Amino acid sequence: MTEINPEKIELDQEMESRNLDKSAIPVLEKIKKQGRSWKELSNQYGVENPDPPWKITLEATCDVLSEVSCALPGIERRWEEDELCDQHYADVPFPERQLLALAHSLIRRGLIDEEDLAKHMQEVSKRLNMV
Amino acid sequence: MADKHKPAPMVDEVSEFEILELAVRELAIEKGLFTAEDHQAWTEYMHTLGPLPAARLVAKAWLDPEYKKLCIEDGVKASLEVGIDWINQMPTKFGTPSDYCNLRVMADTPKLKHVVVCTLCSCYPRPILGQSPEWYRTPNYRRRLVRWPRQVLTEFGLQIPEDVEVRVVDSNQKTRYIVMPERPEGTEGWTEDQLTEIVTRDCLIGVAVPKPGKTANDPRPVRKALKPYSH
Repeated sequence: MTEINPEKIELDQEMESRNLDKSAIPVLEKIKKQGRSWKELSNQYGVENPDPPWKITLEATCDVLSEVSCALPGIERRWEEDELCDQHYADVPFPERQLLALAHSLIRRGLIDEEDLAKHMQEVSKRLNMV
Repeated sequence: MADKHKPAPMVDEVSEFEILELAVRELAIEKGLFTAEDHQAWTEYMHTLGPLPAARLVAKAWLDPEYKKLCIEDGVKASLEVGIDWINQMPTKFGTPSDYCNLRVMADTPKLKHVVVCTLCSCYPRPILGQSPEWYRTPNYRRRLVRWPRQVLTEFGLQIPEDVEVRVVDSNQKTRYIVMPERPEGTEGWTEDQLTEIVTRDCLIGVAVPKPGKTANDPRPVRKALKPYSH
Protein backbone atom coordinates (compact mmCIF):
# COMPACT_ATOMS: atom_id res chain seq x y z
CA MET A 1 0.00 0.00 0.00
CA THR A 2 1.32 3.47 -0.87
CA GLU A 3 0.94 6.13 1.75
CA ILE A 4 0.08 9.54 0.38
CA ASN A 5 1.91 12.37 2.04
CA PRO A 6 -0.70 14.88 3.36
CA GLU A 7 1.82 17.68 2.77
CA LYS A 8 1.80 16.74 -0.93
CA ILE A 9 -1.99 16.80 -1.20
CA GLU A 10 -2.12 20.24 0.39
CA LEU A 11 0.59 21.55 -1.93
CA ASP A 12 -1.04 19.95 -4.95
CA GLN A 13 -4.19 21.90 -4.22
CA GLU A 14 -2.31 25.13 -3.64
CA MET A 15 -0.27 24.81 -6.83
CA GLU A 16 -3.40 23.94 -8.79
CA SER A 17 -5.19 27.02 -7.51
CA ARG A 18 -2.29 29.25 -8.57
CA ASN A 19 -2.41 27.95 -12.13
CA LEU A 20 0.87 29.62 -13.04
CA ASP A 21 1.31 30.47 -16.71
CA LYS A 22 3.99 28.08 -17.94
CA SER A 23 4.28 29.41 -21.49
CA ALA A 24 7.71 30.23 -22.90
CA ILE A 25 9.28 33.61 -22.15
CA PRO A 26 11.17 35.11 -25.15
CA VAL A 27 14.05 36.67 -23.20
CA LEU A 28 14.71 33.35 -21.47
CA GLU A 29 14.29 31.36 -24.68
CA LYS A 30 17.01 33.50 -26.22
CA ILE A 31 19.39 32.77 -23.34
CA LYS A 32 18.50 29.08 -23.53
CA LYS A 33 19.53 29.02 -27.19
CA GLN A 34 22.53 31.34 -27.13
CA GLY A 35 23.90 31.12 -23.59
CA ARG A 36 27.12 29.17 -23.08
CA SER A 37 26.95 26.80 -20.12
CA TRP A 38 29.62 26.51 -17.47
CA LYS A 39 30.40 22.99 -18.65
CA GLU A 40 31.19 24.30 -22.12
CA LEU A 41 33.18 27.28 -20.85
CA SER A 42 35.16 25.37 -18.23
CA ASN A 43 36.10 22.74 -20.82
CA GLN A 44 37.21 25.40 -23.26
CA TYR A 45 39.30 27.33 -20.72
CA GLY A 46 40.60 24.29 -18.80
CA VAL A 47 38.98 25.30 -15.51
CA GLU A 48 38.49 22.45 -13.06
CA ASN A 49 35.82 23.93 -10.77
CA PRO A 50 32.69 21.87 -11.53
CA ASP A 51 30.31 24.71 -10.63
CA PRO A 52 30.05 28.22 -12.05
CA PRO A 53 31.08 30.97 -9.63
CA TRP A 54 27.51 32.29 -9.65
CA LYS A 55 26.00 29.04 -8.32
CA ILE A 56 26.41 30.08 -4.68
CA THR A 57 24.84 33.49 -5.27
CA LEU A 58 21.97 31.83 -7.14
CA GLU A 59 21.39 29.52 -4.16
CA ALA A 60 21.49 32.54 -1.85
CA THR A 61 18.91 34.33 -4.03
CA CYS A 62 16.61 31.30 -3.81
CA ASP A 63 17.04 31.19 -0.04
CA VAL A 64 16.44 34.86 0.66
CA LEU A 65 13.34 34.82 -1.56
CA SER A 66 12.03 31.99 0.58
CA GLU A 67 13.41 32.58 4.05
CA VAL A 68 13.67 36.36 4.26
CA SER A 69 10.95 37.83 2.07
CA CYS A 70 8.65 34.79 1.68
CA ALA A 71 8.08 36.07 -1.89
CA LEU A 72 8.78 32.64 -3.38
CA PRO A 73 8.60 29.71 -0.93
CA GLY A 74 11.28 27.10 -1.53
CA ILE A 75 8.97 24.17 -2.16
CA GLU A 76 6.85 26.07 -4.67
CA ARG A 77 9.95 27.23 -6.47
CA ARG A 78 11.24 23.65 -6.68
CA TRP A 79 7.94 22.34 -7.99
CA GLU A 80 7.81 25.05 -10.60
CA GLU A 81 11.45 24.33 -11.44
CA ASP A 82 10.64 20.66 -12.02
CA GLU A 83 7.71 21.50 -14.22
CA LEU A 84 9.37 24.33 -16.15
CA CYS A 85 12.52 22.28 -16.73
CA ASP A 86 10.37 19.46 -17.99
CA GLN A 87 8.54 21.75 -20.43
CA HIS A 88 11.20 24.23 -21.51
CA TYR A 89 14.67 23.66 -20.10
CA ALA A 90 15.21 19.90 -20.15
CA ASP A 91 18.24 20.19 -22.44
CA VAL A 92 19.91 22.96 -20.46
CA PRO A 93 22.58 21.75 -18.02
CA PHE A 94 22.37 22.28 -14.25
CA PRO A 95 22.57 24.82 -12.58
CA GLU A 96 21.80 26.92 -15.69
CA ARG A 97 18.31 25.42 -15.88
CA GLN A 98 17.71 26.17 -12.19
CA LEU A 99 18.51 29.82 -12.96
CA LEU A 100 16.21 29.93 -16.01
CA ALA A 101 13.40 28.35 -14.02
CA LEU A 102 13.85 30.84 -11.17
CA ALA A 103 13.68 33.79 -13.58
CA HIS A 104 10.65 32.19 -15.24
CA SER A 105 8.83 31.81 -11.90
CA LEU A 106 9.64 35.38 -10.85
CA ILE A 107 8.33 36.80 -14.13
CA ARG A 108 5.15 34.72 -14.21
CA ARG A 109 4.42 35.57 -10.59
CA GLY A 110 4.75 39.26 -11.44
CA LEU A 111 7.66 39.75 -9.06
CA ILE A 112 9.90 41.01 -11.84
CA ASP A 113 8.97 42.22 -15.32
CA GLU A 114 10.20 40.60 -18.52
CA GLU A 115 11.01 43.91 -20.20
CA ASP A 116 12.79 45.18 -17.10
CA LEU A 117 14.84 42.02 -17.04
CA ALA A 118 15.82 42.31 -20.70
CA LYS A 119 16.82 45.95 -20.17
CA HIS A 120 18.71 45.23 -16.98
CA MET A 121 20.58 42.38 -18.63
CA GLN A 122 21.83 44.81 -21.27
CA GLU A 123 23.05 47.15 -18.55
CA VAL A 124 24.75 44.34 -16.63
CA SER A 125 26.36 43.02 -19.82
CA LYS A 126 27.70 46.48 -20.66
CA ARG A 127 29.07 46.84 -17.14
CA LEU A 128 30.73 43.43 -17.01
CA ASN A 129 32.26 43.82 -20.45
CA MET A 130 33.59 47.35 -19.97
CA VAL A 131 37.21 46.34 -19.78
CA MET B 1 60.69 32.35 -13.28
CA ALA B 2 57.39 33.58 -14.71
CA ASP B 3 56.52 30.05 -15.85
CA LYS B 4 56.75 28.76 -12.27
CA HIS B 5 54.01 31.15 -11.20
CA LYS B 6 51.49 30.72 -13.97
CA PRO B 7 48.04 31.85 -12.87
CA ALA B 8 45.35 29.17 -12.64
CA PRO B 9 43.26 28.97 -15.79
CA MET B 10 40.11 31.08 -15.75
CA VAL B 11 37.08 31.54 -17.93
CA ASP B 12 37.86 34.66 -19.90
CA GLU B 13 34.39 35.62 -21.06
CA VAL B 14 31.10 36.65 -19.49
CA SER B 15 28.28 34.23 -20.21
CA GLU B 16 24.61 35.08 -20.70
CA PHE B 17 23.85 32.96 -17.65
CA GLU B 18 26.23 34.96 -15.48
CA ILE B 19 24.55 38.13 -16.70
CA LEU B 20 21.10 36.68 -16.03
CA GLU B 21 22.00 35.65 -12.47
CA LEU B 22 23.26 39.12 -11.62
CA ALA B 23 20.37 40.87 -13.37
CA VAL B 24 17.73 38.78 -11.54
CA ARG B 25 19.43 39.42 -8.20
CA GLU B 26 19.75 43.17 -8.76
CA LEU B 27 16.17 43.52 -9.98
CA ALA B 28 14.89 41.60 -6.95
CA ILE B 29 16.81 44.00 -4.70
CA GLU B 30 15.52 46.98 -6.67
CA LYS B 31 11.95 45.71 -6.29
CA GLY B 32 12.46 45.35 -2.54
CA LEU B 33 12.12 41.55 -2.45
CA PHE B 34 15.22 41.43 -0.26
CA THR B 35 18.17 43.64 0.59
CA ALA B 36 21.74 43.42 -0.62
CA GLU B 37 22.76 42.83 3.01
CA ASP B 38 20.40 39.86 3.35
CA HIS B 39 21.80 38.38 0.18
CA GLN B 40 25.38 38.91 1.30
CA ALA B 41 24.69 37.20 4.64
CA TRP B 42 23.22 34.13 2.90
CA THR B 43 26.03 34.00 0.35
CA GLU B 44 28.62 34.04 3.12
CA TYR B 45 26.72 31.29 4.93
CA MET B 46 26.53 29.18 1.74
CA HIS B 47 30.29 29.41 1.37
CA THR B 48 30.73 27.73 4.76
CA LEU B 49 28.71 24.62 3.84
CA GLY B 50 30.13 21.25 2.83
CA PRO B 51 30.04 17.54 3.66
CA LEU B 52 32.98 17.50 6.08
CA PRO B 53 31.03 18.02 9.36
CA ALA B 54 28.73 15.08 8.59
CA ALA B 55 31.71 12.90 7.70
CA ARG B 56 33.37 13.82 11.00
CA LEU B 57 30.18 13.10 12.93
CA VAL B 58 30.16 9.56 11.54
CA ALA B 59 33.88 9.05 12.18
CA LYS B 60 33.51 10.22 15.78
CA ALA B 61 30.53 7.93 16.28
CA TRP B 62 32.53 4.95 14.96
CA LEU B 63 35.15 5.64 17.62
CA ASP B 64 32.88 6.55 20.52
CA PRO B 65 29.80 4.43 21.31
CA GLU B 66 28.40 7.11 23.65
CA TYR B 67 28.60 9.71 20.90
CA LYS B 68 26.99 7.27 18.48
CA LYS B 69 24.09 6.94 20.91
CA LEU B 70 23.76 10.73 21.05
CA CYS B 71 23.78 10.94 17.23
CA ILE B 72 20.90 8.50 17.01
CA GLU B 73 18.93 10.12 19.84
CA ASP B 74 19.51 13.79 19.00
CA GLY B 75 21.21 14.62 15.70
CA VAL B 76 20.96 18.36 16.27
CA LYS B 77 22.77 18.14 19.61
CA ALA B 78 25.38 15.74 18.23
CA SER B 79 26.01 18.20 15.37
CA LEU B 80 27.29 20.77 17.87
CA GLU B 81 30.36 18.58 18.48
CA VAL B 82 31.31 18.86 14.82
CA GLY B 83 30.77 22.61 14.77
CA ILE B 84 27.24 22.77 13.35
CA ASP B 85 24.61 24.70 15.24
CA TRP B 86 21.33 24.09 13.42
CA ILE B 87 19.60 26.95 15.18
CA ASN B 88 21.96 29.87 15.74
CA GLN B 89 24.44 29.53 12.88
CA MET B 90 21.91 30.41 10.19
CA PRO B 91 21.59 33.96 8.87
CA THR B 92 18.04 33.98 10.26
CA LYS B 93 19.43 33.36 13.78
CA PHE B 94 16.27 31.46 14.60
CA GLY B 95 16.52 28.27 12.61
CA THR B 96 17.45 26.94 9.26
CA PRO B 97 16.13 27.39 5.73
CA SER B 98 12.48 26.36 5.44
CA ASP B 99 12.30 26.27 9.22
CA TYR B 100 13.78 22.79 9.55
CA CYS B 101 15.87 22.01 12.57
CA ASN B 102 15.47 18.29 13.04
CA LEU B 103 18.35 16.08 11.94
CA ARG B 104 17.91 12.33 12.13
CA VAL B 105 21.02 10.16 11.91
CA MET B 106 20.08 6.76 10.48
CA ALA B 107 22.53 4.10 11.62
CA ASP B 108 23.05 1.14 9.30
CA THR B 109 23.49 -2.34 10.74
CA PRO B 110 24.61 -5.61 9.13
CA LYS B 111 20.94 -6.31 8.34
CA LEU B 112 19.68 -2.78 7.60
CA LYS B 113 20.77 -0.25 4.95
CA HIS B 114 19.35 3.28 4.84
CA VAL B 115 19.18 5.60 1.86
CA VAL B 116 17.89 9.18 1.72
CA VAL B 117 15.58 10.85 -0.79
CA CYS B 118 13.22 13.81 -0.94
CA THR B 119 10.21 12.74 -2.98
CA LEU B 120 8.56 16.18 -2.71
CA CYS B 121 11.42 18.32 -4.01
CA SER B 122 15.09 18.20 -2.96
CA CYS B 123 15.18 18.72 0.83
CA TYR B 124 18.71 17.99 2.00
CA PRO B 125 20.62 18.48 5.28
CA ARG B 126 22.61 21.39 3.87
CA PRO B 127 23.95 22.77 7.18
CA ILE B 128 25.91 19.57 7.76
CA LEU B 129 26.25 18.13 4.24
CA GLY B 130 26.47 21.13 1.90
CA GLN B 131 24.69 21.48 -1.43
CA SER B 132 22.86 18.50 -2.88
CA PRO B 133 24.25 16.83 -6.00
CA GLU B 134 22.37 17.25 -9.26
CA TRP B 135 21.18 13.62 -9.45
CA TYR B 136 19.58 13.89 -6.00
CA ARG B 137 17.29 16.66 -7.31
CA THR B 138 16.06 14.76 -10.38
CA PRO B 139 12.52 13.38 -10.60
CA ASN B 140 14.05 10.15 -11.93
CA TYR B 141 15.96 9.42 -8.69
CA ARG B 142 13.12 10.69 -6.50
CA ARG B 143 10.46 8.60 -8.22
CA ARG B 144 12.40 5.42 -8.67
CA LEU B 145 14.25 5.15 -5.36
CA VAL B 146 11.07 4.80 -3.33
CA ARG B 147 9.68 2.18 -5.70
CA TRP B 148 12.76 0.14 -6.57
CA PRO B 149 15.50 1.01 -4.05
CA ARG B 150 17.61 -2.09 -4.67
CA GLN B 151 17.59 -1.53 -8.42
CA VAL B 152 18.60 2.11 -8.02
CA LEU B 153 21.34 1.28 -5.51
CA THR B 154 22.69 -1.33 -7.91
CA GLU B 155 22.95 1.39 -10.56
CA PHE B 156 25.04 3.32 -8.02
CA GLY B 157 27.28 0.26 -7.77
CA LEU B 158 25.88 -0.94 -4.46
CA GLN B 159 24.63 -4.53 -4.37
CA ILE B 160 22.57 -5.11 -1.24
CA PRO B 161 22.18 -8.79 -0.27
CA GLU B 162 18.62 -10.10 -0.17
CA ASP B 163 18.78 -10.69 3.58
CA VAL B 164 19.55 -7.03 4.25
CA GLU B 165 16.55 -4.73 4.57
CA VAL B 166 16.72 -1.50 2.57
CA ARG B 167 14.95 1.40 4.23
CA VAL B 168 14.31 4.59 2.26
CA VAL B 169 13.91 7.71 4.38
CA ASP B 170 11.97 10.58 2.84
CA SER B 171 13.10 14.08 3.82
CA ASN B 172 10.60 16.84 4.37
CA GLN B 173 10.38 20.47 5.38
CA LYS B 174 10.92 19.70 9.04
CA THR B 175 13.21 16.69 9.08
CA ARG B 176 16.47 16.00 7.30
CA TYR B 177 18.45 12.76 7.34
CA ILE B 178 21.99 11.52 7.01
CA VAL B 179 23.08 7.89 6.93
CA MET B 180 25.65 6.55 9.38
CA PRO B 181 27.12 3.65 7.42
CA GLU B 182 28.87 0.76 9.08
CA ARG B 183 32.56 1.15 9.72
CA PRO B 184 34.37 -0.88 7.07
CA GLU B 185 36.86 -3.63 7.74
CA GLY B 186 40.48 -2.67 7.31
CA THR B 187 40.17 0.55 9.31
CA GLU B 188 41.20 -0.87 12.68
CA GLY B 189 43.42 1.56 14.59
CA TRP B 190 42.60 4.47 12.28
CA THR B 191 42.35 7.99 13.66
CA GLU B 192 39.24 10.18 13.45
CA ASP B 193 40.85 12.19 10.64
CA GLN B 194 41.62 9.05 8.64
CA LEU B 195 38.09 7.76 9.08
CA THR B 196 36.56 11.13 8.18
CA GLU B 197 38.32 11.00 4.81
CA ILE B 198 36.49 7.86 3.66
CA VAL B 199 33.00 9.00 4.66
CA THR B 200 32.04 10.62 1.37
CA ARG B 201 28.91 12.60 0.57
CA ASP B 202 27.45 9.58 -1.24
CA CYS B 203 28.01 7.39 1.85
CA LEU B 204 26.09 9.95 3.89
CA ILE B 205 23.17 9.91 1.44
CA GLY B 206 23.33 6.11 1.50
CA VAL B 207 24.07 5.36 -2.15
CA ALA B 208 27.63 4.24 -1.38
CA VAL B 209 29.47 2.59 1.49
CA PRO B 210 32.85 3.66 2.87
CA LYS B 211 35.93 1.79 1.74
CA PRO B 212 39.55 2.21 2.79
CA GLY B 213 41.34 4.22 0.14
CA LYS B 214 38.18 5.66 -1.40
CA THR B 215 37.89 9.33 -0.55
CA ALA B 216 35.91 10.80 -3.46
CA ASN B 217 32.47 10.40 -4.95
CA ASP B 218 32.13 8.58 -8.25
CA PRO B 219 30.75 10.56 -11.18
CA ARG B 220 27.03 9.81 -11.33
CA PRO B 221 24.85 9.86 -14.42
CA VAL B 222 21.89 12.21 -14.37
CA ARG B 223 18.89 10.44 -15.87
CA LYS B 224 15.85 12.16 -17.24
CA ALA B 225 12.36 11.08 -16.34
CA LEU B 226 10.30 10.03 -19.34
CA LYS B 227 6.89 10.77 -17.89
CA PRO B 228 5.95 14.44 -17.84
CA TYR B 229 6.08 16.27 -14.58
CA SER B 230 2.74 16.65 -12.90
CA HIS B 231 1.36 16.98 -9.44
